[in-house]
Amino acid sequence: MPASAASVAPPRALAPARARPRTKRRRFQVTPLGLLGWLFLAFLLLFTVVPMAWMVSTSLKSEFAAIQQPPVWIPSEPSLDQYTRLLSPAGETGRQFLTYLRNSVWVSLATTVIGLVVAVPAAYAFSRFTFPGRDMLFFSVLVRNMFPAVVFLIPLFILMRRMNLYGSQWSLILTYLTFGLPLSIWLLKGFYDNIPPELERAARIDGATRFQAFRLIVLPLSAPGLVATAIYAFIQGWNEYVYARTFITDESKMTMPVGLEKFFTEYASNWPGLMAASFIMSVPVVVLFLLLQRYFVQALTEGAVKH
Amino acid sequence: MTLRRTPELDRLARLHLSRRSLLAASAGLAGAAMLPRGAFALSQDATNAKTGVDPNRFTPETIRQLAGTITVDTAAELHALVPADTAGEVMYWNVGPTEASSAVEKRFYDEFLAAFATYYPNIELQNQNLDYNGMLDTIRTAAEGRAAPAVAKMPILWGVEFAAKGQLQEVTLEEFGLSRELFWEGALKSVTWEDKLYGIPTNNETMAFIWNRALFEQAGLPPDQPPATWADVVRYSKQIKDETGKNGYGMVAKENAGNTPFRYMPMLWAYGGSALDEAEENPTYQTSMINTEGGIAALQNFYDMYVTDRSVPTSALTNTQVENQDLFMAGELAMMIAHPSEYAAIRDRAAKATGQDKARAEEIVANMVYGLIPEGPVRRAVVFGGSNIHIMTEEVHGGPIDRDAARALIAAQTYPEWSLKNAWAGSNPANLRGFETEWMKQRLDEIRFLENTTSMLPYGIPFPVVPQSTEIMNVIVPQMIQNALTETLSVEDAANDAAEQINALAVRA
Repeated sequence: MPASAASVAPPRALAPARARPRTKRRRFQVTPLGLLGWLFLAFLLLFTVVPMAWMVSTSLKSEFAAIQQPPVWIPSEPSLDQYTRLLSPAGETGRQFLTYLRNSVWVSLATTVIGLVVAVPAAYAFSRFTFPGRDMLFFSVLVRNMFPAVVFLIPLFILMRRMNLYGSQWSLILTYLTFGLPLSIWLLKGFYDNIPPELERAARIDGATRFQAFRLIVLPLSAPGLVATAIYAFIQGWNEYVYARTFITDESKMTMPVGLEKFFTEYASNWPGLMAASFIMSVPVVVLFLLLQRYFVQALTEGAVKH
Repeated sequence: MTLRRTPELDRLARLHLSRRSLLAASAGLAGAAMLPRGAFALSQDATNAKTGVDPNRFTPETIRQLAGTITVDTAAELHALVPADTAGEVMYWNVGPTEASSAVEKRFYDEFLAAFATYYPNIELQNQNLDYNGMLDTIRTAAEGRAAPAVAKMPILWGVEFAAKGQLQEVTLEEFGLSRELFWEGALKSVTWEDKLYGIPTNNETMAFIWNRALFEQAGLPPDQPPATWADVVRYSKQIKDETGKNGYGMVAKENAGNTPFRYMPMLWAYGGSALDEAEENPTYQTSMINTEGGIAALQNFYDMYVTDRSVPTSALTNTQVENQDLFMAGELAMMIAHPSEYAAIRDRAAKATGQDKARAEEIVANMVYGLIPEGPVRRAVVFGGSNIHIMTEEVHGGPIDRDAARALIAAQTYPEWSLKNAWAGSNPANLRGFETEWMKQRLDEIRFLENTTSMLPYGIPFPVVPQSTEIMNVIVPQMIQNALTETLSVEDAANDAAEQINALAVRA
């Protein structure tokens, strides 16, 4: 049975990139417009890279050196002290920081996994099934996104408290799901809409159940969409501050964005410590994105175009 | 609840002892009067009506004399109030030290938690250290959501808002074994709403003026003399910018940052203006005086420095004091109003510098001079700041509050030892007995800057004790400054606009 289902070839438009016929590489030519484009891209790159480079540079300085004028790009006496302190479980700072890191990983992963588990069947249902009130329900899912997140702060706070979830990381996971799910469903529905229902029908004719057709045909074809949705959900959970600040007051349950506050006081900032913590915080997201960028870009292009 | 006989109450009965120490202090004062007093000279003779700080009792000299005249046994005093075997739990929120705080602040914070666990091993203290910028909104949200802590220690400006909303429990000093004489009157006023007490002061402080001697010298200014008046500040600031290219005065004008009113109000008050009428002898908090002639003159000073002379950091509109401190540390800023804890923070950062930076850092610290905040045509003034500790109502806590556990915690925070140690680098003990302890002596030796902030105490003016204070100080006042500095409105219009907003708030109240 799976063999026959697998034998159904995906349409040309959805075939993996490697299956496409090779085209002869054109000779690189410098045109004024092209040059302008490159310059613009280089500017954008600078805009992205310079803050990251400055973050790394500052994290290697002493507190005093970090505030000197004029600013110096290359520290005269670079030191990994801040990183050592942050990542060493032997010290109080390190223990605290690693706890924030662990909490962020847990909250973001849980948000991602639960979000996918809910969004995938929901988006599929919106894409494939016709039922009364479908369009209204689909658009009502998006209504939440019409309002700024902070509007829901007090209502959700009260809700979480009544559900005895205030102070628990589940309050964050549920909150992030309420914000992330609508877009995830919307994104995935676009993908499912682009997968011809004929493929599933062919699988059904070959004896697959609806779930098998979904699992063996639709899911693999929508992998880029799943990856994009997962990355989106993860980043949202990873970076969120306002709700994490409000719902969690116990330091042992705080997440990284709130933990970064520990480098400020009313009158002073530990800039190198803050930059080192920010750099460490950005690493998982960057690595995740680098590993999965092929799928992400594919998702952005394919999900956006109606075939 | 039965009141127990406590050492604090006993002490009141034996007030002559304190008088004796005061006599000793007076003798010290007489001796000290023969010494050159320079920047510490005080012009006020009578007790400051605003704060209750007696300028004769609280001078650098008398405080030094008072220090170490008593010894306290904190555990015994606490156990006389709440027995050691009391069991219970208390959720406690406070603004504690962070990674950026000085080592000494962090050490005493941890030591207090450890000490409380030994005083009351059966009381579970659920301590939450929140950051200064986030705590107000967090506690507001928590109170609305019925999840506020049982006890909260808040900056002096915040408490009255919660008291007016009925979210704080009324307390009496006696239930903590305390009495009015142990606190400055201004400190008690800050926890009083409609003649009822809603908290206990934990610490009180005033800021001082700090400047870079080397930059003054380069600009051709007397290196050891701070500007005497706010008009001098404007003049000095321009001269420093013109002669050295560095920023003169450390202006702060960011909205919603407590730093801004703490640095603007001293000048406004000095010129005879005020947000409401808090600087007047008998404030009614009914009408704004921010657009009086003096109020406009004060705002004009900021305008002159920022727009006309360009002698302050261009980032002043978004600066908090943190950024000013960085500029000062970098030798890019010549003078600013500084909180006592900044002195410790600057020294701490200098101590951590290595290699070539070490010499520069030491140079900055060596050139750091401190004195009184300048005066204006009407008075010399400074914000009377500090923190108070409160018990929230059971309604906003969302459940019963263990009053004995709360009393034990509040007593531990407000009795002399921890009232002093928890304010080590940044404030003064609100409990005046703290000034007489042996730890005060050690503290004065370690942090010389405290002598200046102490000298400013008699000039302290508390923020208006009205629930709208946070909005007035953190939003309306900074917006007024920004409107003037960005020339969105003229100086006069900006002041009038602010007055209108404040009056509207007062009417709504």
